[in-house]
Amino acid sequence: MRASDAPQATGIEVVATQPTKADRATLAMFESTERKTLPGAAYIVKVRLKTLPEPTSRGFALYVGDLRIPKYWTYRQGIWFKVFDPQFFVEHKGEPIRFSLNDTEFVKTRLKLTVPKMAKTKGGRTAARLPAQEDVLK
Amino acid sequence: MGALANPGLPGSLSFDTVIYASAGSNYGGVPALSQYTIYDTPDPAYVTPRINISVFANLGIGAPWPFPNTSVPLNGHVCIPRGRGPFPLAVFAHGNHDPLSNSTPGYLYLCSLLASQGIVAATIDVNFLNGGNFGENDARGIVHLEHVKQFRTWNSTATHPLHGKIDLNRILIVGHSRGGEGVGHASFFNPLPAIKPDIFSPTVPLDGSAGLGPYRFALKCIAAIAPTDRQYTPITGPTVVPDSYFLIHGSRDGDVSTFEGYNTFNRAHAVDLANPTVSDGKLKALLWVLGANHNQFNSTWPIFDPSPATTMPRADQEQVAKVALGALAQALLLDRVEYMDVLRDHATAVAWMPAGATFVSQYQDPERVYLQHEQEAVAPPQISLPVQGTAAADAVTATRVLKDLVNSFAPITTITLRLEWNAPGARLLLQVSPVTLPAERYKVLALRVGQSTEPKNAPNRDQDFTIEVSSGSRTASFPGSSVHRLIYPDVVFGAGKIVMQTLRLPIASLVERGVDPNDIRSVEFLFDRRSSGTLYVGDVQVSN
Repeated sequence: MRASDAPQATGIEVVATQPTKADRATLAMFESTERKTLPGAAYIVKVRLKTLPEPTSRGFALYVGDLRIPKYWTYRQGIWFKVFDPQFFVEHKGEPIRFSLNDTEFVKTRLKLTVPKMAKTKGGRTAARLPAQEDVLK
Repeated sequence: MGALANPGLPGSLSFDTVIYASAGSNYGGVPALSQYTIYDTPDPAYVTPRINISVFANLGIGAPWPFPNTSVPLNGHVCIPRGRGPFPLAVFAHGNHDPLSNSTPGYLYLCSLLASQGIVAATIDVNFLNGGNFGENDARGIVHLEHVKQFRTWNSTATHPLHGKIDLNRILIVGHSRGGEGVGHASFFNPLPAIKPDIFSPTVPLDGSAGLGPYRFALKCIAAIAPTDRQYTPITGPTVVPDSYFLIHGSRDGDVSTFEGYNTFNRAHAVDLANPTVSDGKLKALLWVLGANHNQFNSTWPIFDPSPATTMPRADQEQVAKVALGALAQALLLDRVEYMDVLRDHATAVAWMPAGATFVSQYQDPERVYLQHEQEAVAPPQISLPVQGTAAADAVTATRVLKDLVNSFAPITTITLRLEWNAPGARLLLQVSPVTLPAERYKVLALRVGQSTEPKNAPNRDQDFTIEVSSGSRTASFPGSSVHRLIYPDVVFGAGKIVMQTLRLPIASLVERGVDPNDIRSVEFLFDRRSSGTLYVGDVQVSN
């Protein structure tokens, strides 16, 4: 695997979604272990790719600016990761999306992190009219 | 080798192979998952619970898994020796591969071997984490630990066939590829009561209160086969494996062509600069297999790497794995300490290996005192405290470098000594104060040395030099080549990798030549056997 094999990103989209049952448990863990109150939404960051990553041992880490995104997953059109704390978007808005095989050399894309439309919340909880994740990741 | 039996050959015990699995997956209802239907009908005594890994991982879309990440199964194959036991436990995990192809049975050839030798050996299903995902290797480690936990549960369940049959003080976990990285994380997670996996995740208890853990297993060793490194990085920094660590990797690995497990190896049991004589009591060893590739360590994975013509035949590569991991298991799980010699020096195993196979090996014993560990700073070479003395170069350029020896292209934090000479007779003299070097308490003088593809080394020719050890007026000289070959790198993927060989010079052989180990005054690298060269030195130590 070489730098030239890096994923070719064609678009980025951030969508506030309804938390899944597992997400609700995760949000509860945030509240209990880190005393952090978060909006009741799960923000899905989708990076569209020309082709999906191959299931090989090695892989490209995804960066937003200088921040290495810890993990990403695949959907039919690319890769995605999930964020619970919207502060992430405040801190990294407009930063470039990059890939790296080794954390020392980077492959640029034309993409920058966008900001989700913040869901209207009531009492710290997101309205249930947000889309379901399974629909967003179709 | 004496009476030592080949650890790569089956032992005398009969064993049974059992499939264990979580109930209700119904893979048979999903045509794409036909390779997994074997887990639809587990042995009735071996039905397992499911686990929730949702804080650690999502499932890929590469396969239509019939379960969510909140309810992944514990599926596997276990080879159980017949007899009362208790038997040690070894658990293997595969790495990333096409999720529609079941990677789990690919280590049954190793499980069968170990079971015949008296070890309960399992290979586990982590296929639901396979695909185009990235960063999920912490989840692989958690799944691995949960399987070990399941064996502990069975061992303590009075009505279970495995009751009392497993020796929980003797556990080996083995992972291949991303699973090889995963076992390092498992070792790191094993003692923890909780973990915050990453910046986007909350702290997860690992004490059983939320379903995962507790672990705290007596892991005798972590074995990584061609592992990746740092795809998952804990918030506290790259994983430092706290248990004994064994690494095996092939020079023709076209997938993990970066040999990045070497960086895991370097971080494990490194010198503590504040307490350089203090050991954590753990060993580490590696075996670099010339010609081996990535996929052939798993018997079901097709060759992905270089063409078959340029790699070791599959049968040979499996034989190497059986001998290496068999010896590891004999030594550390079955307490047959004579097999430690295979870890210390691959030459011990040469008769058991495929004819003509070439290896490089490293070994660091828990008991050691460094003359030089090189880690003080990128500065002129020195003798490392608490040993006192001086390092003097004569006609050899001796520089400490932060060199990426194996072309992993990752950040490098380990310093290596580079030696280059242009004419015979150059030397590096390490003079030491004898009272500060307790060589008489140790069995060997050990040094790690390797050559590069730089122009001072003749291509495809072994490098060589003379090691001279002096006490008072007596000097013992040994060609490095009399201890081991210093082979020219296998140049396959870009520049060849500098994989240092541990040269273990018995203290007894110094004594035979009149050198008093209570009074060692110098160790000299004399470059009199090649007209020029470039060598890298990892460390010099007295050791066991």
